[in-house]
Amino acid sequence: MTTTTQPPLKETSQSTMDVSVGPQHPGSGHVRLLMRVDGDYIVSIDPDIGYVHRGCEKIAEYRNYVSNIPHLERPCIIDAIHLNWAYVLPVEKLQGVTVPPRGKYIATIAAEMNRIMSHLYWLAINAGVFSGHTTIFMWAFGDRDLFIELAEWLTGARLTYSFLPPGGPRRDLPFGFEQKLTKLLDYFEKRLIEYDRVFFSNPLVVARAKGIGVLKKEDAIKLGVTGPVLRASGVEYDVRKVEPYGAYSDLDFRIPTFNAGDSYARFIVRLEEMKQSINIIRQALSKMPKGSIARKAPLVAPEGEAIGRVESSRGEITVMIIGDNSDKPYRVKIMNGSFRNLIALPYLIRNVHIADMPIIYGSLDYWPVEADR
Amino acid sequence: MTQTISAREETVINKTKSQFPQYIKETRIDSERRVTITFDEDHLQEIASWMRDDLGFDHLIGIAGVDYPTQKKIECLYLVASFSKPEFQDIILTLKAELARDNPSISSITSIWQSAHFHEREAFEMFGIKFEGHPDLRKLLTLDNWEGPPPMLKDIKFPEMGQR
Amino acid sequence: MSQETLQDFMGAWIGKMSEIVQAVTGSGPIKYLINWSRMYALWPVHITTACCSAEFGAMMGPRLDPERFGLQAVAGGLRQCDLLIVEGTVTKKMAKRLKIVYEQMAKPRYVIAMGDCACSGGLFHDSYSIVNDVDKLFPIDVYVPGCPPRPEALLNAVVKLREKIRREEVFAQ
Repeated sequence: MTTTTQPPLKETSQSTMDVSVGPQHPGSGHVRLLMRVDGDYIVSIDPDIGYVHRGCEKIAEYRNYVSNIPHLERPCIIDAIHLNWAYVLPVEKLQGVTVPPRGKYIATIAAEMNRIMSHLYWLAINAGVFSGHTTIFMWAFGDRDLFIELAEWLTGARLTYSFLPPGGPRRDLPFGFEQKLTKLLDYFEKRLIEYDRVFFSNPLVVARAKGIGVLKKEDAIKLGVTGPVLRASGVEYDVRKVEPYGAYSDLDFRIPTFNAGDSYARFIVRLEEMKQSINIIRQALSKMPKGSIARKAPLVAPEGEAIGRVESSRGEITVMIIGDNSDKPYRVKIMNGSFRNLIALPYLIRNVHIADMPIIYGSLDYWPVEADR
Repeated sequence: MTQTISAREETVINKTKSQFPQYIKETRIDSERRVTITFDEDHLQEIASWMRDDLGFDHLIGIAGVDYPTQKKIECLYLVASFSKPEFQDIILTLKAELARDNPSISSITSIWQSAHFHEREAFEMFGIKFEGHPDLRKLLTLDNWEGPPPMLKDIKFPEMGQR
Repeated sequence: MSQETLQDFMGAWIGKMSEIVQAVTGSGPIKYLINWSRMYALWPVHITTACCSAEFGAMMGPRLDPERFGLQAVAGGLRQCDLLIVEGTVTKKMAKRLKIVYEQMAKPRYVIAMGDCACSGGLFHDSYSIVNDVDKLFPIDVYVPGCPPRPEALLNAVVKLREKIRREEVFAQ
């Protein structure tokens, strides 16, 4: 039975034990959490990452700009379009290429579909399986497959789209895509009401998540967290509104922000973001301009530095590219949401019960492959 | 492509130059909303705490290292941004420090921006930059017993890289 | 009887009994029964290595329903699992732990290498921190190519593995 107030600070006594929530654990990727445990309380935690470190940034210097796209979208495979877009925005800035309006709208629609897919995966595994709720695992994966089918029709691949080379999207919308997508969005909107009944308003989930892992607004700003974690703590900051890219400057949407800062607020932020994504896709489909979708981009990039940012489902992805007048980048630096939110893990999991740890970990939506690159 | 550079980027540069005239080596506006300031690395703490308290850049996005072997330097870039100040919310300020390539070291800013904790550990491991004053500087991402060189340096060529 | 002759007698008796057990179970209806029970209760280890884990999750979902083949992902611990699915890239840091997981599983145990990265290194073959040939760690039964392979391809691999189990000897491992 979890209470809403945190227990008082205990100093380390001789009764502490070091437990390793090892690299193999169900659901999440490979990350090791070294916990120092005193009875039922976790005194402190030390994350040990790097089990999926594949050296993406070093490899990126050995491949040319277009070949880099499949490499750099693999770190977060369930949200691949945003990594792709974040990599391509600075390249286009360096090369001086602008994407035509229709291309921007198509990229926006694909990105918002990907946001829904990523939040459904989060709901199934990080929020569902970690709290022991396997019904939502089956429901969310079933609905996610419907979106994946449409994405496969649009781009040709289920998860790894490689859809946005420099200059614009690879393919136009197929004939009949708008009708199928609208039908799916109507169905999904009704499903979200059922998700709310089964999971988000479930008294067991509410009891486990409300008041757990509170991150106050000043701490969220000081720690530099990003994404839904930041918005659940009361800071209304979203790169789609602050520095609009794609078609977001023409579209009208809200940014869900809550003030509680606990794990339940982080759950609800993502539910509201899914509703806003449905809204954005509907507007983009109705306002879609005509014309060409892409422009030809050169194969080399001139010298210079460029930084591009997008808002993915886990937070802000910022990519810095340094070009050196050749067809391979000199340096690619990726700063993504999971790595920036990692600082919140040892900060929030202090003096909590052991059973609260999966809830806090799941609400931060830490994806180890993305953080390790 | 015309770039509209507003007065806000100029404000950032002018205020910094007037506060620390002797520590700033070079300033540059790369494009709209992107400002780069190169500074003297011995005075990182003063500049960083003034940036946070007076200018309002309250969080760190990341720390990047760039290796220039021909110019015998490693650059350490600090990307900072602001959540709370509305007129600077979309600006990314890059603070650049140029370190000697043989033994790069700079003081740590974890006391000013807490999020630098993991970023500095990664830069230490990938480039060999020593951050003095970091509470827990050890390897983060590579193998437990990696005794090899820092992987991201340009002259470290792993034999299998780039072969098809 | 003295100690040595008692031990010799017990040893010979146990050896004779195990020969009889192997002869009886090696063929005929008991072998069929044991292999049938093994192939209908393959419990996979939860080890979601890298990006292929998204397709493994999709396979365990309601679309393809692997529970009709006995693949239930509810194992409480490693000793109860039979199937290790190596999904995705194996880094050097993780290779040691993967070997420990494999050795902790009770025999008979089977391995499926899922994805290009587990088969031969895949997209990241020239990275400094990954292991290219996973079959140096433990023997692999089925290889599934793809980047990532479709969930239907993974289910096909499970079906092929079940065929392999149906045909193999009872005490092969």
